[in-house]
This record gives sequence, C-alpha cells and structure tokens, in this order.
Amino acid sequence: MTGPQDVTGAARLAAPTAPDPDLVEVLGDLFADYRATRTTPTAVVDLDRGLWQRLEDLGMTRLTGSESAGGSGGSWVDAAALLGLAAAVAAPVPLAEHDVLGGWLLQAAGLPNDGGLRTVCRPDPSGVALNVTWARDASRVVALWEDRDEWRVADVPADRIGIEERRNLAGEPSDTVEFDVDDLEAGTLVPHEIGEQFHLRGALARSAQVVGAMERILEIVLVHVRERHQFGRPIGRFQAVQHLVADIASETALARAATDAAVARAAASDWQDPGMLFAVGVTKSCVGHAASVVVRSAHQVLGAIGTTLEHELHTLTKPILARRSEYGSLQDWDETLTTLAASAGHDRLWTLVTTGRAKPSHDHRSHAP
Amino acid sequence: MSPRLVPPGARELPALTELRLEVRAFLAEQVAAGAFVPHVDTWLTRWDRDFTRELGRRGWLGMVVPTAYGGQGRTYLERFVVTEELLVFGAPVAAHWVGERQIGPSLLRYGTEEQKQAYLPGISRGEVVFGIGMSEPDSGSDLASVRTRAERVDGGWRLTGTKVWTSGAHEADAFFALARSAPLDPEHRHAGLTQFIVDLRAPGVTIRPILSMGGDHHFNEVHLDGVFIPDDRVLGDVGEGWTQVTSELAYERSGPERVLSTFQLLAAAAQAMDDGRLPLDPGLGRHVARVAALHHMSFAVSAALEKHEDADTAAAVVKVLGTTEEGDIADYVDTLTATGWALDEELDTLLHAAILQRPGFTLRGGTNEILRGVIARGLGLR
Repeated sequence: MTGPQDVTGAARLAAPTAPDPDLVEVLGDLFADYRATRTTPTAVVDLDRGLWQRLEDLGMTRLTGSESAGGSGGSWVDAAALLGLAAAVAAPVPLAEHDVLGGWLLQAAGLPNDGGLRTVCRPDPSGVALNVTWARDASRVVALWEDRDEWRVADVPADRIGIEERRNLAGEPSDTVEFDVDDLEAGTLVPHEIGEQFHLRGALARSAQVVGAMERILEIVLVHVRERHQFGRPIGRFQAVQHLVADIASETALARAATDAAVARAAASDWQDPGMLFAVGVTKSCVGHAASVVVRSAHQVLGAIGTTLEHELHTLTKPILARRSEYGSLQDWDETLTTLAASAGHDRLWTLVTTGRAKPSHDHRSHAP
Repeated sequence: MSPRLVPPGARELPALTELRLEVRAFLAEQVAAGAFVPHVDTWLTRWDRDFTRELGRRGWLGMVVPTAYGGQGRTYLERFVVTEELLVFGAPVAAHWVGERQIGPSLLRYGTEEQKQAYLPGISRGEVVFGIGMSEPDSGSDLASVRTRAERVDGGWRLTGTKVWTSGAHEADAFFALARSAPLDPEHRHAGLTQFIVDLRAPGVTIRPILSMGGDHHFNEVHLDGVFIPDDRVLGDVGEGWTQVTSELAYERSGPERVLSTFQLLAAAAQAMDDGRLPLDPGLGRHVARVAALHHMSFAVSAALEKHEDADTAAAVVKVLGTTEEGDIADYVDTLTATGWALDEELDTLLHAAILQRPGFTLRGGTNEILRGVIARGLGLR
C-alpha cells in the first residue's frame, strides 16, 4: 500500500504543522541551560533580565515581528513553540506580552518599536488596567484602548503611568496600571479587527503557555513515579498510580491537539480565518478543563513533597491556574462556545466543529454574535 | 521534551474537504428523502444492507483497498473524512463497519491472494458482510485466554467453542474467529493462537441472540461445534493470531466512531438550546470543544497511520478520551432535561438510546482500564 504515489496523495490532503526544527533545537539548548543554572524556586517571581538578554541576543524577543520592523519574521507556529518551551521552565520573562501581543499591536498601528521591554493591557474607560503582568519592569506599556467604538493603540512610557504593584497567583508581577486618559486618546487608530483579535491572540498565547507547562509536569511525574519507592517497588508500578498518570498524559495531549489546531489555523490564514474565535475557544476550554485534571492529579502523584516551596512542581501548577483565567475565564469561553454551538443548531454544529464557523466559507463575518 | 503521546497535528487541505462536502451533501439528501432517520451509535445499532451497498456504489467503502481487489486505492485520510461524515449524520452503517474497518485491512496484510480476491471486492461493494469473533464467555479483556479449540484434521481444522458479543452475526456472512491451535503454554500465553475465516452458514455454527438492556438485538453468541475450516481459510500464519489481531488495533481504536457515537444527541441539544427548549448552558460549549479537539487528535493519528508510523499509544489516548466523552454527552444532556417539562420526541429518542448504549462505549474494543494500561506502557511505566 506504500509507494511514491501514496505519499504525494497524502501531502495533497493534509499539511503537517511543525515549528522550525532549528528554532526548537536552539531553544531546547537555551532553556536546558537555564534550568540547570537557575536558583531554587521562590514564592515571588521577578523578571530575569539575564535570561531576557539571552533571548534578545537570539532574536527571540521579537520573534514574530516582521523582518522589516526589526523582528525575526517567525510564524505563529514558531511563536507557540517558544511560548510553550519557555513556560516549561517557568521562564520569568514577558515573551507573550512583549512580542506576540505588544509588538504586534505596535506593528499594526505603524508605531516605532525600539525593542525596549513592553507589556500590554486594555485599560478601562477611566484609564485603569488591572492585572497587567510585568508592568513594573516595562520601559513602555502598550495600551489597546476602546473609545466610542474606535480602537486606538498607545505606546506609553513608564514615566507617564502610575503603577500599584501586585502579584498574581504565580507570584509574578501583575500590577494595576493607571494611564492619563489624554495619552490613550492620543493613541493611533487601528482597524476594528485588531481590537477584536487582541483578545483571541492573548487567549491562544496563554493556551500555548499552559500546554507547555503541562507537558513539563508530565515529565516530572514520570520521573517521580519511577524513582519513588513504596511497599518495596516504584509507585509507578501500582495500577492506581498508572491511571492517574495516564489521565495527566491524555488530558495534556488533548489540550495540545486543540492548541496545535488553532495555531495552525492562525498561521495558515494570518489570523484572517473567520473560524479563529471558535478555534481559540476550543483551546481555552480544553486547556482550562485539562488544567483541573493535570494540576490536581500531579499534586496527588507527587505527594507532600510536591507541595513544598523548593519543589519545581508549583512553578508550573501556579502559572497554569493563573493563565487559564487570563483573556477570558474558562466559564466565559464555554459560554462563548455554547452561543456559537446553539446558533449553529442541529444542522450546522458539525460544520462549526470542522471549520470554526457555522456558515459557508463565503460568509466573511469575523465574529459570530 | 516530553514523551509525545500523540502525533503532531495536521491541517485538512481543500482536496480532502471537497470529499467531505460531497459525502455531506449526499447524506443531507438521504435524510431529507427519509432514506434513514439519524440515530446514535449507528455503527452498532443501525443495519441497512441497501444503504451499505449504495455507499459501495459511490466508492465510499473499501477506500484503502487497492483497485486490483475491487477497492478504491485511496488513503486513510480520505477514509477518515468519509467515516466522520457518516457517523455525524447518524447514518445506518453497522452492516459494513467491522468488515470495512478491520477485516479488509487484515486480509490485505495477512490474506492469501485467493482470499483477497474472494472477499475484498464483495466487502468494497458492500455485499459481503463480516463480523468478528474474539471475546468468549470467559475471555473479555484477557484475550489470550480464549478457549475455542482448533484441531488439526485432514485438509483443515475443526473449531469448537463459543464466541460472544459478535455484533450482527445473525445478519453477517462470515467472521474471523480467534482460536487456540496449540495448547496454552503458561510461559508464552500469546503463542498458539490462530485466526480463521468462518462461514457463518457452515454446518456446526449456531447463532443465538444476546439481547441488550433496551431489548434490542445487536449482539450474538456464536457456537462452533466442530466446524470444519479448510486450510485455505486460515488467515495468515498458524500460531500468529495474537500478533495479527493486535497489529491492527490502532486503526480500530483511533477512528471517529470512538468520539462521535452520540453526535446526533449533541446536535439535538444545541438545537434545543437555540429554540429555548433547553436552558442555554456552558456545558454545551465544553462538550463541543472536546469533540472538536478529539476530531483534531483522531485526524492526527490517521495522518500518522497513513505514513505507517506507530500510533498504538496515541490510538489508546483517542479511545479513552473519545469514548468517555461520547458517554459524557449522553449523561450531560440527561442532566438538563426535566421529566414532564417539555415534550421533545426526537431528543428523548436519541437521549434514551444514548443512555442505554453508553456503558458499551468504554467497554468495546478494549476497556478504558486496559487502555490506560496501554498508555502507561507507552509512557514507560510497564
């Protein structure tokens, strides 16, 4: 059944989506080195400027920027790989905020990007944004501002914002930022689709990070169940433990499949595919529900030692839970998907599942209701 | 990097979508014309030889069988989208399911030239209907413990024993029976098993129904009382039965029938929410998301199988998650409906059938407990 003809046939039918192997290799080395040399875990997590510099030297802090704008021209497939691998070592650096979101907004607005560390947020009408990750470390904060049905992007210098320092569940900077509304109103007008895409891009970036962290948890769990002996044998030999581990692995794989599919769709269409809302929603839902199983079961398998500050596990489980609630809670996304599914109805539900939209492809509405 | 349990994703390209839409258009016409009433779990419960033959005429059976044997010479990916559409529409596909999915590929791999010529064209036309005989009254998950005996006689073998849970045996033409052709060696339990092609109309074959808890007749007990099997109806090599039955499991376990058995119920629930007959509930979105992710995962496994990559562990992951999900859909919709609240005959019919079929989802084709063990082995824990 094999032959050159079949290979050609299959290539015509399905396109594999994999990140640049050279990129993965470089990042593998970098993060392996980081893991080997980092300090023991702490309850508060601060920006690692040394790591940020190394990433900058490799062009990773501007991976998705166009080459003409000083970026590396990486695809979303590459970006998702970077986010996942960085999350697997709990790298305390704002890759999503600075490049994937902030850099993209600046480029979309045609604003200059000096490469200084950015974070990103959506201030409310009074100019206040809550839970802005890494704000205290940014030289500028990129604000996406929705004002009377118009969207503006403002790149506001740190010395023009007020910051109240706070931390999220993971102990990372997650500050309250107060802007001068004049600075926001002076922002550059951007098309509506930019404003709408921001939430989706943020959500997908978070999914990619959570999946990366869950894959690392699986590694930790596998090592532990082989090394930890009780009743005279490794605990991984007990069927009850094997089933917990199988569930961790399976839920992680499902979250990975959902995320890969959305990332592939984003990369193939440069986010223009009208099915992106559904595709991103599927990741947020599957990843978020997987997080419940993975976090709980991993802590169960690791036992009491996994709950200590010195153990690596919480450097992954805490960010997983922090990130799954960013860019929409699990409940929000399940409700969005419910609305899409109900309006698709009986006859179009499967079209929604396979294409992300309930209407035929010539309908270019970017958002369902 | 973590052990990658499931192959990397793949994106469906327009050439494949075209086939999907062609099948979809045909099925929509069939439903509109009343040719079948969409149902749940139709690959076990809806048997329609006319419909099966029609699929054969359209070239949607025997898709991976080479044209030299009457098949379509197409790819597993094309077969994948055709089967997805058939299941999503709740079409009556039970008559050909086992033959098309398992028997054809096994014959291609292990059958003699004469066996391939004898059966594959009929399977591909939807005219020859096969069952499968593996489980026995005392052999469920522990398949190596089968007791059906194959005794060497002049010119062939005589089979004696009992097979159970043989779906559709009362309607099928033939089945593959796994039998012990050499005495059990406790040190090598998987040795000494052989697969035989058994004509279900042959003397010595007795078929009795095993009624399911809803009163339906899908399963059977097949007694083999010294049934003569000529040498040319041994499948593959004598003593290699275990290897043969386990080598095709990835195809059997990773398919869309492990995810979509209750899709009609999910679609009916979506419609009922849109119409206000059921409350709009975020659980719908959660289940739709899981089905979508499983669709991607199952497709990725199919793409790997197309490239002849090992996907046994990945297939087990699809089956554990998918069969749990299709059952959870039944339970979820049940928790939304209040008796006496509203009459919805279509939803009720699908729901009741789904609830009654549900226990079987996570049993058939390897229980989820066995499959978690397969996954654990894939992770290096066994």
